[in-house]
Amino acid sequence: MTGKNCVAIAADRRFGIQAQTIGHEFQRIYGMSDHLYIGFSGLATDVTTVSNKLKFRLNMYMLRENREMKPETFMSLVSSLLYEKRFGPYFVEPVIAGLDKNAKPFVGSLDLIGCPMITEDFVVSGTASEQLYGMCESLWEPDLEADDLFESISQALLNAVDRDCVSGWGGIVYVIEKDKVTEKILKARMD
Amino acid sequence: MSERYSFSLTTFSPSGKLVQIEYALAAVAAGSPSIGIKVANGAVLATEKKYKSQLYDENSTHKVARITDKIGMVYSGMGPDYRVLLRKARKLAQEYQMKYQDSIPTSQLVEKVASVMQEYTQSGGVRPFGVSLLMAGTGDEGPYLYQCDPSGAFFAWKATALGKNHVNGKTFLEKRYNEEMELEDAIHTAILTLKESFDGQMTEDNIEIGVVNSSGFNRLSPSEVKDYLATI
Amino acid sequence: MAAELKKAIYPENATIGLPTQHRFDPYTLNGGTIVGVAGDNFAILAGDTRLSEGFMIHSRDTSKIYKLTEKTFLGTCGFQGDVLTLTRLLNARLTMYEFEHRKKMSSTAISQMLSTVLYYRRFFPYYTFNILAGIDTDGKGCIYSYDAVGNYEKHTYHASGTASSMLQPLLDNQVGYLNQEGVRRVPLTIDKARTLIKDVFISATERDMYTGDSLHIVTITSDGVTEDHFPLRRD
Repeated sequence: MTGKNCVAIAADRRFGIQAQTIGHEFQRIYGMSDHLYIGFSGLATDVTTVSNKLKFRLNMYMLRENREMKPETFMSLVSSLLYEKRFGPYFVEPVIAGLDKNAKPFVGSLDLIGCPMITEDFVVSGTASEQLYGMCESLWEPDLEADDLFESISQALLNAVDRDCVSGWGGIVYVIEKDKVTEKILKARMD
Repeated sequence: MSERYSFSLTTFSPSGKLVQIEYALAAVAAGSPSIGIKVANGAVLATEKKYKSQLYDENSTHKVARITDKIGMVYSGMGPDYRVLLRKARKLAQEYQMKYQDSIPTSQLVEKVASVMQEYTQSGGVRPFGVSLLMAGTGDEGPYLYQCDPSGAFFAWKATALGKNHVNGKTFLEKRYNEEMELEDAIHTAILTLKESFDGQMTEDNIEIGVVNSSGFNRLSPSEVKDYLATI
Repeated sequence: MAAELKKAIYPENATIGLPTQHRFDPYTLNGGTIVGVAGDNFAILAGDTRLSEGFMIHSRDTSKIYKLTEKTFLGTCGFQGDVLTLTRLLNARLTMYEFEHRKKMSSTAISQMLSTVLYYRRFFPYYTFNILAGIDTDGKGCIYSYDAVGNYEKHTYHASGTASSMLQPLLDNQVGYLNQEGVRRVPLTIDKARTLIKDVFISATERDMYTGDSLHIVTITSDGVTEDHFPLRRD
């Protein structure tokens, strides 16, 4: 979700196989660089594999070019990584949130074979995506300050996952600003 | 059978030199001269393009070439080798574009092309390229001018000369170059540097000029070159 | 040519060379969304007025809210054929009740009857999703929601239809105060409820293809009924 010179990304913490919940401390959001975060919904093993491969490619880029990667460029990188497996895809749908060097917020999402979508307001992904669309569409407004952005994205996440039986079991939110990133763990109903 | 011949042609001499590379540099030094100058708001590439017979169609081939919208290059040395590198450079640039949806920075392209040239000094069954390249480009990081040698070594220059008479060319540039130069001055200086060692009449058909400015890289048309020659 | 081979070569004409099969599909999903909210002394029932089938819009002004009695309304969506049949059947049953008992049926009685009517068709159901709104015998607003085979529950708020999954979490949050800490739970007013319903429908219309055109809002109080129309996106 975008704000004024800030951007936020949030996810639930459930790890389960169909209806069976196995863990509730699953980390599906990864910090790629200071102002670049990516979250994945989907198959947990692919979430770790794809995030590791991305981290590798991003690190190589930053060493080679001696500069930070722009969020747009990172999205192209994710897209090309996923499209390499066009006919045997990773079962993940990534969501990217980042700030560019002018602190302009960026959010975008991709499907499992790397079709990118960039929006001005918010992107959602996963089993509760319809619920999230409903929440975000009502709670989001332009130019939210970091505190308000945190409140909006948290409420959107909590209320959406409560209406999805395979999401929830706690939440995690990252609010990314130019000079700091705030990580908060949300308590939620555990059923 | 063929693997019997794929031994390395570039082999160290007892004194530690790779003479194949030195021969390649000799081919460059014997090639027709080219000049590069970088200034604050752009860069210019210039080269002599003389043909052995007046029957050649001068505008059928070009020495100054565009690699991307923002990067161009020129060479001294062997034309056919240059065209191989040009094709590789364009392909590398497009691969980058395809992967990142972002134009390749000049430094990155130079590094990639240089590593191709290095590969040809250490692989079996090949010889080094008989060219040195001048690559000029612009991007977020401002204008850049690079030279790339057959060994795979590369350098960033404010101004330099390659090919025949490059020593005199560099001396001339050292006298003429200053940090306050503008792009138009650079184009003039480049032409004057070429003129220093030019045999016969310089015309719009026997030199080529490429210019990098904020809008990207362009090769000047013969009529544009003619206008610059008229002001010298 | 063997049937398997044809199927491999002409996947789009996979039935070539195979026996032609016919099947009767008695249901269509005509889309649309309804929301009901009950307060202390009122009930609001709202629904969009689009009637669609796949990528086709059949109508932009077909209301999903049906008047059953002076203080009981039914919101219903799903398969329009069943919607019409169900509402006609209910009206017939209500008229018969009135003749037999010489009084109007109460909202609570209708709520039970609707469940029975739906369950009667347990194995060839009406493909409809219903919300019943009315004023109960104590003068309080009430909302009942149903699935297609008559399972029902009394709520203070509920959303049904194609955009229900988008609306329900927001109603949980804004009407049910779920996941909110340290807020004063003020009783819902008619104005606040109506504003909220408009807002959630505007949001749903942004994302749900089958919801839009205009919003029909029926507000039921013990003093009477008011009906409003509010324009929504038409694309």
